[in-house]
Amino acid sequence: MRTGTAPSAAYDDLPYTRGGAVDRADVGVLVQSAVDGDAAAWKALVEGLSPLVWSVVRAHRLSDADAHEVYQTVWFRFAQHLGRIREPQKAGAWLASTARHESLKVLRSLRRLTPTDDAQLLDRASEDRTPEQSVIDSEDAAAQTERVRRLWQEFEELGERCRQLLRVLMATPPPSYQEVAAALGIAVGSIGPLRQRCLRRLRARLEGAL
Amino acid sequence: MNETDDERLGGEEGPAEDLAEDLAEGLLDELRQAAAILDPVPAELRRSAVEAYALRDLDARLAELTFDSLVDAIPVRGVTDAPRMLTFRSGDVTVDVEVTGQGLLGQVLPPQSASIEVLSGRPAASPTTLTADDLGRFTSDAPPAGPFALRLRTGGQLVVTEWLRA
Repeated sequence: MRTGTAPSAAYDDLPYTRGGAVDRADVGVLVQSAVDGDAAAWKALVEGLSPLVWSVVRAHRLSDADAHEVYQTVWFRFAQHLGRIREPQKAGAWLASTARHESLKVLRSLRRLTPTDDAQLLDRASEDRTPEQSVIDSEDAAAQTERVRRLWQEFEELGERCRQLLRVLMATPPPSYQEVAAALGIAVGSIGPLRQRCLRRLRARLEGAL
Repeated sequence: MNETDDERLGGEEGPAEDLAEDLAEGLLDELRQAAAILDPVPAELRRSAVEAYALRDLDARLAELTFDSLVDAIPVRGVTDAPRMLTFRSGDVTVDVEVTGQGLLGQVLPPQSASIEVLSGRPAASPTTLTADDLGRFTSDAPPAGPFALRLRTGGQLVVTEWLRA
């Protein structure tokens, strides 16, 4: 029996995942334990893979309400499918792919309800969060707050493709390339170069070069 | 910022890029911290995902979504409020469901009576219960809000549909 504390889930030994890397076989073990009735293993899966699911949903710029519903749908469905997932060690990719498909369905239904162009559609995210609400309220934190705010602003203003990729990559713990590929419907081989390019672009923005 | 541009730059990774890897990783770490502050997984959502485990229906057979008009049907030009048509299947039992702004309409096939619970994403709320008539038809005048699943008891079988957001 496992304890209730979550081991971090998953991740490839790809270079950028250094640090919090955990043997990715753990995900498969946790799935199997959960199938066998271990609620703590399930909790560990939720703790380890929630940020990935949330990142995928946010990468698609869903509104808060839609994002909540998609996140729930994905986890409810994962619970239903738990014993039928063919490759338990790829549960992260399963979740990422399901989150992507459900996010795309939401975008499609919005498009049908209100004939609108993508630009308008894409403007409707993150209505009611301000950095000031979330960041520790102390004077020492002010400079840090400003830096985080600036970073986030520049990130939000990246091109759609870079914004999506980075939103998924910044999940904690870092997702594997396989999960990122499932989350965005792109080839694993394209992630590395695209990641380099997007981070380069973000740095340029931060340095005021753009 | 177009595909061609992406590929051209993407193909140019060389020694200079390798040197930049530490910087790139540092920037990504900063983004990760920023996301944890500015756009974390809402705590109540995390809780509902944890609770989903206890709500698993181990006795029921899973009816998988085999048709979704949102994905599988071609929209009719000018029709913006077409109902969402869904088909779930488990073995020999098929459930057709139509979701509109007014409610929910469906049929169990082969035609048979059934008792149907509409499960929602709020476990605290008691599920709506519907009854399918001898022809398997059922209706509800409340459209599901948020994620939902149907739990059917029919002919000694217990079937639950995949969760879906209507």
